[in-house]
Amino acid sequence: MTPQLTIPYGSADWAALVPTFIVAAGALVVLLADLILPAGFRRPAAIALGVLALAIAGAVALTGWHHPYSAFAGGFVNGGFTIVFEEITVVAAIFSLLMAYALGRPDQAGGAIALMLWSASGAMLMAGAANLMTIFLGLELLSLALYCLCGLSPRPASRESALKYLILSSTASALMLYGMALLFGATGSVSLAVFANPPASVALFDAGCGLFLIGLCFKLSLVPFHVWTPDVYEGAPLPVTAFMSVVTKAGTLAVLARFAYAALPATSSAQILWPLWIVAALSMIVGNAAALAQTDIKRLLAYSGVAQVGYIIVAMAGTTPQGLRYAIFYLGAYTFMNLGAFAVVALLSRERDEGSSLNAFAGLGYRQPVLAAAMTFFLLALAGLPPTVGFTGKILILAISVQAGFVWLGVLLIVGTAISAYAYFKIVRAMYARTTGAPIQRAFKPASALPWVGVAICAVATLALGLCPLAPSDVLPLVK
Amino acid sequence: MIAALVIVPILAGLALYALPRSAENAAKWIGVVVSFAAFVVAVLSRSAPDESLVWLQRPFTASFHVGFSTSGNASAGYWIVLLLTLSSGCGLMVARLPRARDFVAQMLVLLGAMTGVFVARDLLLFALFWDFMLIPVFLVLIAWSPTKSSATAWKYFVYNLCGGLALLLATAAYGIFAGTTDAIGTVAAPLSPQLPAAAETWIFAGFALAFLIKTPVWPLHTWMPDTYADLPAPMVAVVSAVQSKAGLYGFIAIGLTLFPHAMTAVAKPMLVLGAISLLYGAFAALVQDDAKRIVAYSSLSHLGLVLLGIFSFNPYALGGAIVYIVAHGLFNAGLFITLGEIEVREDTRSLSRLGGLAARNPKLGGALTIVILAALGLPGLCGFAGEILIMTGLYQAGHHKLTIVALIPIVLAAAYMLRAFQGMMQGPEVEDVPQRPDMTPLEIFALAPLVVAIVLLGIDPGPVAFPARAAQTAGIAPTQLVSAK
Repeated sequence: MTPQLTIPYGSADWAALVPTFIVAAGALVVLLADLILPAGFRRPAAIALGVLALAIAGAVALTGWHHPYSAFAGGFVNGGFTIVFEEITVVAAIFSLLMAYALGRPDQAGGAIALMLWSASGAMLMAGAANLMTIFLGLELLSLALYCLCGLSPRPASRESALKYLILSSTASALMLYGMALLFGATGSVSLAVFANPPASVALFDAGCGLFLIGLCFKLSLVPFHVWTPDVYEGAPLPVTAFMSVVTKAGTLAVLARFAYAALPATSSAQILWPLWIVAALSMIVGNAAALAQTDIKRLLAYSGVAQVGYIIVAMAGTTPQGLRYAIFYLGAYTFMNLGAFAVVALLSRERDEGSSLNAFAGLGYRQPVLAAAMTFFLLALAGLPPTVGFTGKILILAISVQAGFVWLGVLLIVGTAISAYAYFKIVRAMYARTTGAPIQRAFKPASALPWVGVAICAVATLALGLCPLAPSDVLPLVK
Repeated sequence: MIAALVIVPILAGLALYALPRSAENAAKWIGVVVSFAAFVVAVLSRSAPDESLVWLQRPFTASFHVGFSTSGNASAGYWIVLLLTLSSGCGLMVARLPRARDFVAQMLVLLGAMTGVFVARDLLLFALFWDFMLIPVFLVLIAWSPTKSSATAWKYFVYNLCGGLALLLATAAYGIFAGTTDAIGTVAAPLSPQLPAAAETWIFAGFALAFLIKTPVWPLHTWMPDTYADLPAPMVAVVSAVQSKAGLYGFIAIGLTLFPHAMTAVAKPMLVLGAISLLYGAFAALVQDDAKRIVAYSSLSHLGLVLLGIFSFNPYALGGAIVYIVAHGLFNAGLFITLGEIEVREDTRSLSRLGGLAARNPKLGGALTIVILAALGLPGLCGFAGEILIMTGLYQAGHHKLTIVALIPIVLAAAYMLRAFQGMMQGPEVEDVPQRPDMTPLEIFALAPLVVAIVLLGIDPGPVAFPARAAQTAGIAPTQLVSAK
């Protein structure tokens, strides 16, 4: 009897991955177009096709909103939670593409944008990943593409960035993989759903969880695993930094949230997760304090990102279902305010000089009032001041920290925010003070006006979401 | 209409940026018109119904709820909004500084944000405007700073933001414990039973920190003299007259109603802080050389008196506190506008450089006389009305020694205010300062509404102090209530 070749998964399984596949296939189309089109059209065509693929993927993903189901025998869970993270990834990738006009040499444009799309598809896979194999697959897809993207710029710092990211991130992946092996050893399964049952070997399980969480914390650049972040962010080309600052965090947070909420036994969940809250507290304080001294906006936003992820994890403290909603809400808020700030920097960038030094902002309020006003607005949001989504998001996180009994995290969040205000408003001061001593740059035309679209959309979203906070309602269940 | 009081000035301010930079005069008059229009609308909206829109439903309900409370402690907000719009209009009328278009725009944004603080009926909305009103002041301190360092702006911002963030955490916690933040002037006084005792204490601590910094009260006052000295005249008139009252208004409208137990518990230390501010401010004002700093320290002293009035839990003292809040706003706005006039003319406001101005500028001398007399508490003007009510209430509440202590700064007020007046207006004429013409009719006209209000409030403080016999006692813990004999 010949062994029969069976395809264990039906079309319903593959349907869950359609948005991810659209993005990945979009990358192939971009590469093909790069071969066919004349040189002058390659860059705009790559951006247009990339945005199109992402937009289609986003629209297709939305159609599954009210039909949560589990595909690939629990390997990928489609539902509200997954879709929200997919949408955040798609939106962040679109905004990054809008800034990507000056990414790499003209002949590299197609490849660079294809890599970015593949990276985004990795994050989308992580959004729904509910077993260790899918998680690792998504994570590596996300990271491998980013290693290449980090080194795209001709500056030496860019190569340093790529190498640093490669080595340190691989180390983290290795730790995580080892943690996964231990988890498999302890439970006999790779499925997150099985982990919620009491494990056969508690010691093995706890060690596995520890290594797994350390890997995630590294990818999220939480203190004390954050030291790579500023260097990598500073060296990478601006659109890549913008992309990394949201998409990596979104994908990894999806995994972290799923793990913290659904994959731990109810009895030991609080005990396993308490180091995570400490890490969040450290991130808020250290991240914001380190941001104070930065004079490069990309480094500043790197440290700011460290703290902002800390805020998001505070929302998850105590793993209350409400807290998960607010964590997602704040992640969405962070997407808009952070990418808005990056888009402003993109508009100040010239060839070989990304407008990311504090000096590029000197007197901006008098040279380009609209751009300066937009930047001020995004910084207000990042600092959690009204009337922005940052303010509303912080209120929700503070409320949930009180409700979940983590008032001390709320207090540290306040302290961190107070520290961060100086870091953010240093930029505001540079833009509006008459006499900062820095040489005022002459106005120039940016390489492309596309980032203006990003600035406008982000500004509207930052205002509107603050006044009308739409936290996603049905994000559970997370695993089958 | 009440929501328009908040939104229209903010939008008008932002719209000013669409004007060409050179349209300084047009911008200024738009600012004046918007401010006075807001004044008229506020007067007409005295008994207008509240306006409300849902903001949050989970984890607690919060709404964009604005309105003038007609009874109870929050009704003080109505008078403060009148004061705000009036001082903003008067201040803008005499605005003379570079980049006036941008300045007026920031003034209007500030006007809208501050109106929001006093019409908000929801704690979360209150917190929103509380933080929002820092931003225009910070931007003005940066862009119009007389020094290179922006140190004043940072000091102002960091101090007030710390308070604002504590307020934010406390508001979120209040929402979680009470289920809603829609509570200003709506929760049935005098007790709000929802809060557990331990929670009430620390939630109130968050509010109190914000209020004490904003007022400011010794030892949290160090941002204030610098800020008042560096802000341009029209904005300092508004900030000192109204923004500093937000903390006191908070104690009255929020503290007395929502946290009666905690308020009673902290009364002693608050009275001590108030008394220290009272004395410290008065003595510091005696030795300043900069006229604006004299007024700044006198504010510290005067607002300490208001704090005594609030924490004596006596209906007369509370009424007096509200009168004095408005009165202090009126004469402080007048003082800063007049000092702005002097500075524009003489390029300095240092007492040791000035002298004998009244001989050349009799109108300026007259204007300063009126506002200074109101500030030092001349009977018949508004300052006296507030002081006598607070003193009476304080004595009636049994704080006899404190009443005597509180008398000292009132005597000192006469000393430092007259010292300022003599230093600038009297004595031998100083020759080496610029000689410029006396006040124009427009400048006199800008002060007139304030002077009229100073006199009116001095003659009849009743409607401000005691809006309704029943309402005035609402919110005071019954044990603390002293029957008005």
